[in-house]
This record gives sequence, C-alpha cells and structure tokens, in this order.
Amino acid sequence: MLKEKIKDHDDILEQQNKVVEDIITVRKITKDNAVFSRTQGGFVSLCYTGDDSEAKEYGRVAVHRCFPHSDPTHYISIREPDGDGREIGLIEDLNELPKDMREMLEEQMNLRYFAPKILKVRHIREEYGYSYWDVVTDKGACRFTVRMGGGNVYPIGKNRYLINDLDGNRFEIPDLYKLSAREIKQLDLFI
Amino acid sequence: MNICYTLPPDEQSEIKPLLNGDRIVYCLPYDLNETGEFLESGWVAVTRKNLFIFKNGAVVNTLDLNEIDDVISSPEVDCGILIAKKDGQDRFLCRFSMRYVVQFSYVARGASLFCGGTEREIVSPERERYCPQCGRVLPGTNQCPRCAGAGRMFRRFWDLCGAYAVPLLLITLFMALNSVRTVAQQYVTRYFIDDVLIPASGTVGQIAFFFIVMMALVLAGLTLSTINTIWSNKLGTRISRDLRGRVYRKINSLSMEFISSRQPGELMNRVVNDSAHVREFMETAFAQMFTRIFTMLGAFIAMLFMNWKLALMTLAFVPFAFVLVRSFRKLERRLWRQQWRFDDKVNNRLQDVISGIRVVKSFGQEQRETRRFHAYIERLKSIQKRNEVLWATLYPFVTLIITSGTFLIYYFGGRNVLGGTMTPGQLVQFIAYANMLYMPLQFVSRLPRMIMRLKTSLERIYDIIDEEPKVDDSPDAIYKEIQGEVVFEDVTFGYRSYEPVLEHISLHVKKGEMIGLVGSSGTGKSTMINLLMRLYDADDGRILIDGVPLSGIKRDCLHGQIGVVLQETFLFSGTLYDNIRYAKPDATRLEVIKAAKIANAHDFITKFPDGYDTYVGERGYNLSGGERQRIAIARAILHNPRLLILDEATSSLDTETEYQIQEALNRLTEGRTTFAIAHRLSTLRKADRIVVLDKHRIAEVGTHNELMRQKGIYYGLVMAQLEMHKVRS
Repeated sequence: MLKEKIKDHDDILEQQNKVVEDIITVRKITKDNAVFSRTQGGFVSLCYTGDDSEAKEYGRVAVHRCFPHSDPTHYISIREPDGDGREIGLIEDLNELPKDMREMLEEQMNLRYFAPKILKVRHIREEYGYSYWDVVTDKGACRFTVRMGGGNVYPIGKNRYLINDLDGNRFEIPDLYKLSAREIKQLDLFI
Repeated sequence: MNICYTLPPDEQSEIKPLLNGDRIVYCLPYDLNETGEFLESGWVAVTRKNLFIFKNGAVVNTLDLNEIDDVISSPEVDCGILIAKKDGQDRFLCRFSMRYVVQFSYVARGASLFCGGTEREIVSPERERYCPQCGRVLPGTNQCPRCAGAGRMFRRFWDLCGAYAVPLLLITLFMALNSVRTVAQQYVTRYFIDDVLIPASGTVGQIAFFFIVMMALVLAGLTLSTINTIWSNKLGTRISRDLRGRVYRKINSLSMEFISSRQPGELMNRVVNDSAHVREFMETAFAQMFTRIFTMLGAFIAMLFMNWKLALMTLAFVPFAFVLVRSFRKLERRLWRQQWRFDDKVNNRLQDVISGIRVVKSFGQEQRETRRFHAYIERLKSIQKRNEVLWATLYPFVTLIITSGTFLIYYFGGRNVLGGTMTPGQLVQFIAYANMLYMPLQFVSRLPRMIMRLKTSLERIYDIIDEEPKVDDSPDAIYKEIQGEVVFEDVTFGYRSYEPVLEHISLHVKKGEMIGLVGSSGTGKSTMINLLMRLYDADDGRILIDGVPLSGIKRDCLHGQIGVVLQETFLFSGTLYDNIRYAKPDATRLEVIKAAKIANAHDFITKFPDGYDTYVGERGYNLSGGERQRIAIARAILHNPRLLILDEATSSLDTETEYQIQEALNRLTEGRTTFAIAHRLSTLRKADRIVVLDKHRIAEVGTHNELMRQKGIYYGLVMAQLEMHKVRS
C-alpha cells in the first residue's frame, strides 16, 4: 500500500518535471528538421522530425509572430492550433526556409494578422462623442467609428499612429507626415 | 445583436433553388477575403442542413452540416476566421474583421449545434453597436436617439413631466409674463424720453412717476425670475430624484444577465449622470429656453409694429450672426479639446513617473525623465498661450460683428428720426429690441446640443425602465418550504450562448446530502451555484427542488431559504451587527452573538474597541479577508437556510481557524443540503459525495474513497496537493 503510494508520487513528480522541461526548452525549427505543406482546407500542416523524441505530424499548425511590428520575419512561433496552443518550435529566420515553405507560412500569417494601413483620409465627421472615419487603406476603402475622448488614437514611435475603432479593429498610420496638409488638419483633433 | 440579416436580392435569388424549402436560421455578412483585403460583398447563410458561403453575389462553398463535425469561429489578431472541422481536418470558410467577431461566435455555435443534430436555435442578447438605420453609434440603448424621432422623445418627456403638469404650466406662464414685462419696459423708456425729456414741459413729478413705474417693473422682473429659478430647480431636482428611484428600482428587479452584460460603472452612470443631465436641462435650458424665445418673439413683434422695414433689416442680419456664433463655437470647442487632451497627457506622464519613482531612481533616470517632462509642459504652455491670445483677440471681434446689426439701426433709424418719421424714444426702444434678438444667439446655438444630450440621456434611462425582467416567476409560482432534494436535469448554460459553461449536467442530490464541487477554475462550479440560486436561468434542461422546477417557486421564497457564503465577502457600509443580521433584520442580539460564536467571529469582534458596533465598509474599519469570511459565515448561520452554499467559504483562513470553522460548519450542515466548492480538498473531507467538473461536464461523481480508487482527475488533484504540502513543509 505504502509502496504503491510512493510510486504514485514519483509518477506525478516525473510528469510535472516533464511539463516544466517542455515549457522552458527553446526548440528550433529549421529546414532540416521540418517539412511544411499546404492542407486541402487552406491551412498548413507540419511534419516535424525534431530531436528524435519529438518527431510528430501535425495536421494543422498555427503561425505566430513574436515581434509582429518590429521584426515580422524573425522568430516565428509554430504552435498547435487547438487546446492550450503548445509551442512546437521557433523559426529563427524565415528567409532560411525554402521559398515555397516561406510563402506558405507567410500566407498563414497574412491570414492571422489584420492591420490595415491608412493611406488616405477622405473625411472625418465628429458627432456627439464619436468620430466617423472614411478612409482608404492598403486593404481597400473602409469606414469606421472611433470613440472620442483620448486613448483611441495614439502614437507608437515617431510619426506612426495606431487607431482603435469601436469594434476593436486597429488601423495604422505609418507616417503622419506622408499625408496631405488637409488630411493632417482633419486628424488635428486626435493628435 | 442581429445574427440573421436579410440577404441582398442577388444572393437571395441565388440561394432560393438551393434551399429546398428550408429556412435561413443565421445569416451574416463577412468583410475580408483570405489575404485580408476588404471585400465588396460576402455572406454566410446557415439553414438546419447547410452552410452557404457567398462571395460577390455567388455561392462559392456549400457545406452539408451533417457531414462535418464542428464549425468554429477562431479569433485571430484583430480579425477572425470561420473554420469547419471534418475528420480532424480544418477547412477555412471565411474571414472577417472585428466588426463581426461577436456575431460569428454565435453563428458558429449555432451551426455547430446543428452539426451535432441539436435543433436548438440560439439568440444573441448583446446590444447592437450601430443604429441599423443611420449607422451612428448607439449609446448603449436599443433605439437610436437620433432615429427614434421627435414624437418618441416628446412622449418620453411628457411621460416624465406629466406628473408635474401644474408646476410646469406655472413656470411657463411666469416665463411668458416675464417676457411681456421685458418688452413692455421698453415702452416706458420710450415715453420717458419722448414725453418727458424731449418736450421742455416735463415736470419733476413726471420723472418721479416714471422712476416709480420703472422701479416697479424691474422689481417685478426680479421677483418673477427668482420665483422661476426656484421653481425650475425644485422641479429639476424632483424629476431627477424620481428618475433615479425608478431606474434603481428597475435595476434591482432585473436579472443578473442584464446586469452583468453591462459594466457596473455604466449602470451607475445611468442612475447618477443621466438623471443629472435631465435635471440640468430642466434647470438651465428649459427655464431659459422659453423666456428667451418668448422675449425674442415679443421683441420682434413689437419691432414689426413700430417699423417693419427696419425690423426685417435687423432680422436679415440674424442668420449671419447665428452662423458666425456657431462656427466660432466649433472652433472654440476644438481648441479647448486640444488643450484639454494635452493637459491629460501631461497629467498621465506625471502620474506614471511619480508612481514609478522607485524604478526611475533605481535605474538613475531622473535626468532623462526631467527633460522629458519639461518638453511636455513646454508644449502645453505654448498651446495654452496660443489659445488665450486667440480668445483675447477674437472674442471682442466676434461680439462686435454680432452686434454690428445695431449699427445699421443707428444709421437708418437715425435718418428716420431726423426725417421725423421716428421719435428718439422709439429709436432707443428699437435698439433695445434688436439687442434682445442678438443676445440669446449664443444660447440658441447651444440648444441643439443640449436637446440631443437630453434625448440621449432620456433614451438611456428609459432603456432600463422599459426593460422587461427576463428571469421571472411563472404565473403559478408557489411559496413552499424547501426540504432540500435538488435535481439537475440535463442542464446546459452559458453566460453568452455561444460559450457554454455547463453542458448536460445531470445530478441527483438527496435531502441533507453534502456535495463537494471540485474542478479547475473556469469549469463551471460557481455557475452551477448561480443557476441553483436562480440568478440565471438554464438555457436547456431544468433544475428541480423537491420535484418542483425552480421557476415554479417564488423567487423571494427561494432566496429566503438559501444561505450563501462566497469567497469574496461583501460587507455593506454599516456596523458589524447590521451586516450579520442582513438577511434577518429582526434577529435579537443574543441570536447574533450565538451565530458569531459558531462562526468563530465573536472573539475578534469583542476585541474591537467598538465591538459589534464597529463600522465597516467604505471608510470604515478594514477587516482582513479571514475576518470578513467569518462575518459572512455568521450571516449565513443566522439566516438558518434549508440549502447551504459554500463557495470557497474558508479559503482566506489559516489552517487552524479553518479547521475550527469547518467543525462549526459541520454542525450547521448537518441535515441540510449543502453544496461546497473548495480548492483545498481537505475542506471537503466531510462531503457525502464529490462531483468533479471538467471541460464543462461532470467528469466524476462519488465518495472520496470511490474516487481515490478510480484514480481519475480527483485522484490526481489529491496527489498534487499532497505533493505541494510536502514541498512547502
């Protein structure tokens, strides 16, 4: 009875240690230990050979950027798409992968990240605590609404601005001074 | 929110032959293509059998819901995608921006129910964010204050003022009287000039007479406006008090669902701020509105009678002045807001640095922070300076232009006086009237905004007043004495119907049984208890107490017999004595002491200088978490409930105290049906049965020993806790 209990304890301890080990290890994914391929459903699967014990096939993987703004082509985290989203491994440099795989992963990242850049401000109308924007972005023309009263239009870096709309979309102005004087005047209220 | 839009005509004719008589249950637009570009027209339509994807008017994908396992809406970064799962394979369906994220969560859940063969349809209780008619943002209401129309607004206002018809009429009458007085006063001035001053025949007696008449008129005006102000204020405060009362009563009667779907601050706002807006309007705008409008009208009519040409000339100038005032106000607001925003920035910066002063100092960054702050206040200074200078120069100029209409009258009127068609008194009178036309322009230009604000506030207040309570007793609900048998019958529930927290929960609890609820956080333990307390109604299935469905028992009767001790103990502002007898206000002092003794609270209470009279709550004596919990336990003990719920009731106590209270509680739970939630499993030693929740379902049920033998989840939890204690000791 007592022996069995001790054995159980050891089992649990071992399991816990494995989890911890898994969390703190940095696994690198390179062209030598992984093969990505497109799935029929429009996603990407992974055949990972890793270090022997981790070899596994994944029907679909999620592709996350570690630095989506400051370094979009380095440190790409490949994760399981469901459950806790465990990290399978990190790609240090996207450019070191074969071209077709790189394209595949870029497609997936394009599917994940949505950050339209505002190229042109057509019109901003302010009315009772909200402003209604009519803009052209690199993803096409669009209208959105921003709550007035601070915090929703804010600078990140020099002359670069982010705009949060009422729905939670984020729009970016890459360089304020690339806009025309008339457009900047419209933005005056926010900046 | 609407999750069944109407398809545009093109898509409609496209889908008609595919429907086979089926009905579209869910229908949503999507706005992005695969690569994240905005799409002209994309639609998703779901029937009980199929899911259709439209792109630019044509069906591009048709899914047979019977053949796929699941439909999920997967949140991505600032967008979302809809995915179908089949045999472990994911298939991309469509992509949408954050605008439709919430709606797609519902539709995915709805479609996934159809995949599983369930016929249930879901609805979304979330509010629309935009007015479907005009696209403007809704201020948290059902109806757009803009599109609701003047009629609706007037009805609301009438509903509000109906009870105060007499004071309202009196106020209006007084305002009219005062306007008449203002206009009449100018006639007196005119006679004084024309009949007394100009002809040399005027006597000192006449002057005295005019002096008395003017004095009387001024005094009358003063009295009238004072009475008016007092009455308006009285009315305003009365209306706002009544509104607050109505909203507060309503909030209390509304379901938790309604209340938790809003932020607490929002409801506070409606009780406090929105009713204050109504009051402000009644006191300032309403009182002044009529006086000014009557005065303007009166003045204009008088002018028409005196000299219609000159009157029209004055009037022609009014629109010009009005536009000027308006654009000036716009500029003013714009500049002020800019200054205010920057002011805000400086304050934020200051707060940041001061609260992080330890970090700043420990990294030796004082110099840099000082420089940065200096740059900020320098900018603020220049903005302030610019604004002040602008006002100082612009304001007199604008006033001049607005009143320049009077110069016209000086000129043309002066010519009339010289030509003998007008007396000097008449000219003075006329100029006074012209000023009466120009002066209220500032006020009138503010009026639309004030009315809009009133409209919005009224809309938000009535939004609550008109809300129907959702969880309600069925008409044949009864009062009954609870024995304590509880049955969960295939209960499914989610706070938002696309996110189930409990699925297919079935449990039979015998009278007097103690049930321990175990599971990691977020699995639905507290939700089970919320349902049992009927703070929410189950989406599917039902809960029975002694064979009677919960909705068949009067709510106050149910709550009167359930005692709850929660982890977060809320103490109301008041004495400890009041707090303990919160649920039983007629308890005697001895009963309170007995309850406190059982809860092991008596000792620490009597050690306080003020004993049971110690004042707690905001600005009151600060109790520790353990002390609070013991007060809550005493409260529950005094309540003497038939059903006892302990939600982490002893989690904030040290082990020794917990042991003592557990013993006391055991005496309390004896013979009463008890549900106890605990992370520290030792707390559940005495439980008759343990229910383990995992992934929103009941994973294991049984006694401690049975579950230990099963070596399942519970076993793992017990072992892990033993291990933790070993490491600590």
